[in-house]
Order: sequence, then structure tokens, then C-alpha cells
Amino acid sequence: MGRDTPLTAEQDVLVDANIFYAIGRPSNPQYQRFRRAIQHAGVVCKLPRRVIGELGGPETDRVRTALDEGWAEIIDAPSPTDGDAVAASDIARRTIANETDQAEHEVEKTDAILAGLAIQYLRDRSTTGVVVLTDDQPARKGIENAVRAQGYTDAITVYGLADIIGDDPGDSMRLI
Amino acid sequence: MEHLSASVHRRPVVYITRRTDSVKYTDFELTTMTPDHDHIRPDGGIDTLDPPPIDVLNEETLEPETLAENAPRLETVVELLNRPALARVYVYVCYWGPVAPPEVMDTLDLSKSTTYEYVDRLVDLGLVDRDDSTRPQQLTAEPIIIIEQYVPIVITPTVLHALALQEVDEDVEYFVDRYGLGKLIAALRGAGLHFAGKTTQRMVASDIDVRETEAMMIIYALKPALAVGREHDPFFEYLFPDVHTEMDLPDLDDIADAPAQSSDPDR
Repeated sequence: MGRDTPLTAEQDVLVDANIFYAIGRPSNPQYQRFRRAIQHAGVVCKLPRRVIGELGGPETDRVRTALDEGWAEIIDAPSPTDGDAVAASDIARRTIANETDQAEHEVEKTDAILAGLAIQYLRDRSTTGVVVLTDDQPARKGIENAVRAQGYTDAITVYGLADIIGDDPGDSMRLI
Repeated sequence: MEHLSASVHRRPVVYITRRTDSVKYTDFELTTMTPDHDHIRPDGGIDTLDPPPIDVLNEETLEPETLAENAPRLETVVELLNRPALARVYVYVCYWGPVAPPEVMDTLDLSKSTTYEYVDRLVDLGLVDRDDSTRPQQLTAEPIIIIEQYVPIVITPTVLHALALQEVDEDVEYFVDRYGLGKLIAALRGAGLHFAGKTTQRMVASDIDVRETEAMMIIYALKPALAVGREHDPFFEYLFPDVHTEMDLPDLDDIADAPAQSSDPDR
């Protein structure tokens, strides 16, 4: 509850879509913890249109609630064109392929692009720092590796859900 | 493999394949269960590399008498798969047992008449044992496993748990309504691989041909089946031979209403 999150209002927080599924439905305690942490930090989750994917079914309500309540927004992050950003996406793709023992062409483009989007975003705007939030382990490693390889560790931090709201104490999970 | 067959022989096993040559575990190759991204069909099934040998069926296995003996097993499977509410009671008794009917009623939020109807049916099917010598009566259930290696189909308590979740989880219900049971099993396997770090959620979406956000939603919705299954389903490693020890899931010790460890004599 009064848990400190590593987020500060000066940072731009780019969020991958999976975060909204990891926290469950709006009635789930995890969802409420996450919302509290985001609002407490005074940030707005920026969901790049490229990574949110096609929304259509009942899975939409989680994102819709956040948008309506104003703690998330969908942004049109420009595609990586900057050299560092393009290279970052390639590194992310290679890392993910390696982590999952898949061929590089098997890696979904969107998994790799978040690394490039983050660097492009940073270069286009003079923000103090960018946080990338994803709950997908192999994808997270890909982004972290790309950010490190391109020398952006001071400006870009990658977090998982547990970094923001702590480990799931299990109270949010109905077992049967 | 030694460990696998040891744990199997101590338990009743239901087959939809041959009874007379029942133990297929010697032929059961773990390699057939590794993810093969080129062979997952849109319905969630996995194409076999080779058609089953013709001698899978022979005069002996096709004896009307044998087929008749096997009939109740087939019906058991069909009924469990088609009645998630019944499967839910079976899974609860299997994992949480021994339990008394009032506990089933309270925990699963069922009416008294429904509880007894389901318990009676599960007893009739031979899936649940009812000990009437105590008051209240105690229910227990042995874990079952069904393997059809040539399709392949694998059904264990974890799979039944996943499909039973549609009774209480709208996300699972939506997924099964839209895509069916076969794809739910494919999603379960994908979710397990994901929590073991072997695939991204978007790869699962493309492997089983659903929208990315649908894959994300079902992967998290199936977490309870994986978290309980890896602790209490003795056949968990049949579904996840490659990653059953590697999944990053919530620890059941931290969850108040998790089944007691002692309910699983194997661990």
C-alpha cells in the first residue's frame, strides 16, 4: 500500500500491453495496486499504438478503464528511424530469439520494436528519462540487452510489474 | 523416464487407446511434446509428423468385447470435457481431498442439490471415491491421465482444471466460447512455456492464431491451473516435460486456500 515505486513524474513511462493483462480485471486487487502506484507517482502510462495491438473482445475493458480514468493514454510513437533505435530493435530480436531458442524470424516484430521505440522516443523529445514497463520475461531481456548495448542505461530503465507493485501476494488469484 | 513410469504405475490410468497393450509409456517420446511451431494447427492441435502405424488397431483391440469394456472410460472422458462444472468438482476433490460434500459446496459456491448431483455422478463414473464410514462422508479422487500419442492429446488434472476455470473466470469462458477446448489446451501449453521464459506472449498468439491481447489475457487467466498443477498434478511433466521445473509462478505457500501439501503423497 504505501509502497514506494521507482517511478517519478519526470519520466515518460512506455508500457507494453501485457501489463494490463498481468494486473487482471479492474476488480482485481493487483489492478488496483497498479493504478494506485501509477497515480501516486503522477505519471501516465503511455501505450504505443504499435504495441497495444488490435483490441476487440472483452479483454478491452482493462485498457479502456485506464484510458477513461486518465492514467493511461495511447500514443503514436514514431517507428524507429534513428540508427541507434533501429539497431536496438535488432539486438532485442536477437536476444529474444536466443532466450527462446527460436529463429530470429520467428520473433514477433512487436516484441522487438519496443526497444527501438524507447530510444526513438528519447531522441525525439528531450525528456529526462524513459521507463519501459513489460511483464514478458524474454521480451524484457531483449529490451534490457538492447538498451545496454546501445549505451542508454542512464536514460532508459526497464521494469517488470513486480518492480512497481511488489510480488503478487497471491490474494488476487482465485485457484478454482 | 524411470521416474515417470514409476509414478504412473501406482495410479489408475484411463486410456482412450488400447487397453490390452495399455502401457504406451515405453513408446511415449518426450520429443513429441516439445513445442514445434510449424506443426500447431489453427484449432490448437498439433500435426503428427507421421500417420499412426496401421497396427495401432488390430483384431484384438477392435474386439467388440474390448470396445464394450472400454466404453465407460471413453464416456468418462467425453463427459468431463463437456461438463466443465463437473470437471471442476473432480479437480477440487482430486487436489483438495479428502473433503466432505459441505466443503465442496462452500468452496465452489454450489447449491446443496447440485453438489450431490455432481458428486453422485463422479462416483458413478468411478472418478471419485466416497467413504461412507465417516460422518460427514469423505471424498477423494485419484488423478487421471489420458494420452493419445498420435494426435497428440494429453489430458491431466491440470488440463481439466484449465477447462474448469471457465466456470469462474470470464476470460477463460470467453476464450473457450470463441476458440474451443483444443485451443485452450494449446494456450495452456503456451502459457507454461511463457512462464518458463521459453516464448513471448506474442509468439504464443501467433502460434495458436489468436489476437495478441487475447493470448496475453488467457496466459494470465490460466496461471492458477499451472500454479496448482505443478505442485499437485502428478502428471504435470507429461504436459511440460521440458519446462515443468522452470516456471515462474506464485508460490502456493503464500496462498491461503491452496491445497495442503499432504494431499499429494508423491511430494
